[in-house]
Amino acid sequence: MDFKIEVNNNLISVHEGETLLSALWRNGFKVPTLCHMNHFSPTGACRLCAVEVEGKRDLITSCSYPVEKNMKVKTNSPRVIKARKALVELLLSNHPDDCLYCQRNGNCELQWLAEEMNVKERKFFGEKNPDYPDHSSTSVFRDPGKCVLCSRCVRMCEEVQKVTAIDFISRANQTKVNSAFHKGLNVSSCINCGQCIMVCPTAALLDISHIEKVQAALDSGKKEVLFFISPSTAASVAEQVGIKSQQDIAGIINAALKKCGADKVFNLGFACDINVLEESAILNDHMAKNLAMPLLSSCCPAWVQYVEEFRPEWLPFLAPSKSPQQIMGTLLKTHYSEKQKLNPAGVFSVAVMPCVGKKFEASREEMTRQGISGVDAVLTVRELFRFLRTFGIDLKSLAPLQVDEPFEKASAAAWKMGYSGGKAEAVALELYKMNNKGSQDGFKFSVSKNLAGKKETKIKSGKQQFGFAWTSGIEEADSYLQQIIEDNRTDIHYVEVMGCPGGCAGGGGQPISRNPEKPKNRKRLCQEMEKNAHFLSAGENLAVMDLYMGKDAAPGSEKTGEWYHTHFRKREVLK
Amino acid sequence: MKPELDGIFQKFPNRQREDLIPLLQQIQDDFGYLSNQIITGVGEYLGISVNKIYGVATFYDNFRFGPVGRYHIRVCHGTACHVAGTSTILQELEKQLRIKPGETDKEGLFSLEVVSCIGACGLAPLVEINEEYFTHLNLEKIKDLLAGFREKEQDTYES
Repeated sequence: MDFKIEVNNNLISVHEGETLLSALWRNGFKVPTLCHMNHFSPTGACRLCAVEVEGKRDLITSCSYPVEKNMKVKTNSPRVIKARKALVELLLSNHPDDCLYCQRNGNCELQWLAEEMNVKERKFFGEKNPDYPDHSSTSVFRDPGKCVLCSRCVRMCEEVQKVTAIDFISRANQTKVNSAFHKGLNVSSCINCGQCIMVCPTAALLDISHIEKVQAALDSGKKEVLFFISPSTAASVAEQVGIKSQQDIAGIINAALKKCGADKVFNLGFACDINVLEESAILNDHMAKNLAMPLLSSCCPAWVQYVEEFRPEWLPFLAPSKSPQQIMGTLLKTHYSEKQKLNPAGVFSVAVMPCVGKKFEASREEMTRQGISGVDAVLTVRELFRFLRTFGIDLKSLAPLQVDEPFEKASAAAWKMGYSGGKAEAVALELYKMNNKGSQDGFKFSVSKNLAGKKETKIKSGKQQFGFAWTSGIEEADSYLQQIIEDNRTDIHYVEVMGCPGGCAGGGGQPISRNPEKPKNRKRLCQEMEKNAHFLSAGENLAVMDLYMGKDAAPGSEKTGEWYHTHFRKREVLK
Repeated sequence: MKPELDGIFQKFPNRQREDLIPLLQQIQDDFGYLSNQIITGVGEYLGISVNKIYGVATFYDNFRFGPVGRYHIRVCHGTACHVAGTSTILQELEKQLRIKPGETDKEGLFSLEVVSCIGACGLAPLVEINEEYFTHLNLEKIKDLLAGFREKEQDTYES
């Protein structure tokens, strides 16, 4: 039921049961907050959303207070503003104040608040947090000194990702966000998804940067520096810079990277096609041999790490295929190096991904051969922008340059991997073709069952019916799979799991923004771009098929296994 | 897992979240402190993240994460003791023992803890050492007290 309340002498319509903050925001009243996140339980931790309500003695936190009939609210009275300013000043009291040297300079919520509140001097001198920055992780860097204790990362890690690698330690002015026993993130149960980075208002959480490595390799002159760009990276670059989807965005990034000295720039979509073919072949094999069902996708490093740490009993369900990034890394250091008569040790491969977990994946021991890793550096989309900025490159002004051969073309499947549900569709198409004499006529893939966050569909091919499901966010995935495995459901054959909510479009390496529309935009862009893809399905990618032919093999076979397959193992961590 | 811990676990057969604090208290009573290993064991038993347990345990002053000394000194810091000058007493103790509250010295002889009101305000300032109370303290008395304990330890060691 709706009713009206009075805000700053305006009558606004509100829904019964909603919080005051959501009513104010919906009606265009700006109330600042640091700790609030949509769809999360309110905490009232930062108290910046305080407003004055007539008849109440104290200021109330609008994020945790439901609307009431006949409420009279003042959002910006002098009393409120004074209180908010004092709060920001207190938050700043133990802050390092090194904005000029800070990665989040210009994109920091604390900085914005200080400016908004007109904070012009340091009023309070608090004790600085003595904890050292945590460099221990392969993907996530933590600087406790910049933490404002808003608890956004803690809630994200616990409620959405079900990992709880970090939590509040101690209390009152000693409170800190840390992992258990004050150990580093590397021994914690962190799965490197990077969602904590995405919600951090300051620079307390960042990615472990690989920019210096890339710069050193480019500068050495001895290394063949090969970049490869994931399709979803191209989509987020298009979104961030405002390039139309019809343009060859990978080509534009190629032109930019060539200006920075890159030797070759490839399209990771090529390896996405291989990955889709491999997983559909493995799925076919699992069904024919009655192996573990449902088959779980294994291209998301955060999801794989979660299974290894928390659900080792599910390891047989994981598809033993390498992720596109690692397939590409392997191809560059083996097939490509051979063809180009390069020494694999002299090849430096750089992945550009919307993901921080890929940094961890690249460092996996099983992803090396003879001590040489497939992927030497992983740049997130954020790092790509930073890297290009150091060269003063304006992406908008560049003319596209055809991405380098032989890994230049990709099918629509590659774009589909950029968002939740896409890969399931691509794999379903390949399976359909396998059982329909190679033809994709009559293939239809639409959601048949929509269970908040988990979606299912059935496809029919010949006499057989296959069940596909997809889900994103670890908590969703875990609860869904537990159900499927407990209920022993045999109608679901393949489950696509993406660790980040929304899939790679909402990945932990994407540009940081509080706008919830951004991941949706990126998904939409991916969907537009797949219409212009070189091929309709992964199996049509001629260069990919040539590679298989060269080894006299078919997808899923042992002969290409050394390139395309891997294994997973149980991981002991503090959990 | 240590068999002693299993004995404690048996008292909490329901394995519920609510069992966490009583369980930790029981463990501390029996073992003297909560080791990392024990916390991990409790996490596995109750199905709660180790991180959550560590967060809860560090929230409460009563939980310790290292062993206490043979002489565990609890300094009362209630209002009356504060007024009577417990701060100087604490400073003296820190200086003499070269440890901070919450720590144990290298020999494992003394450990220091600051507690809120012990409930003997008329006798302020006071400390409690191994459940014995030492009252109306001043700096002289503290020095004598510590010297006394050290002497006693020396004697035991030599004999």
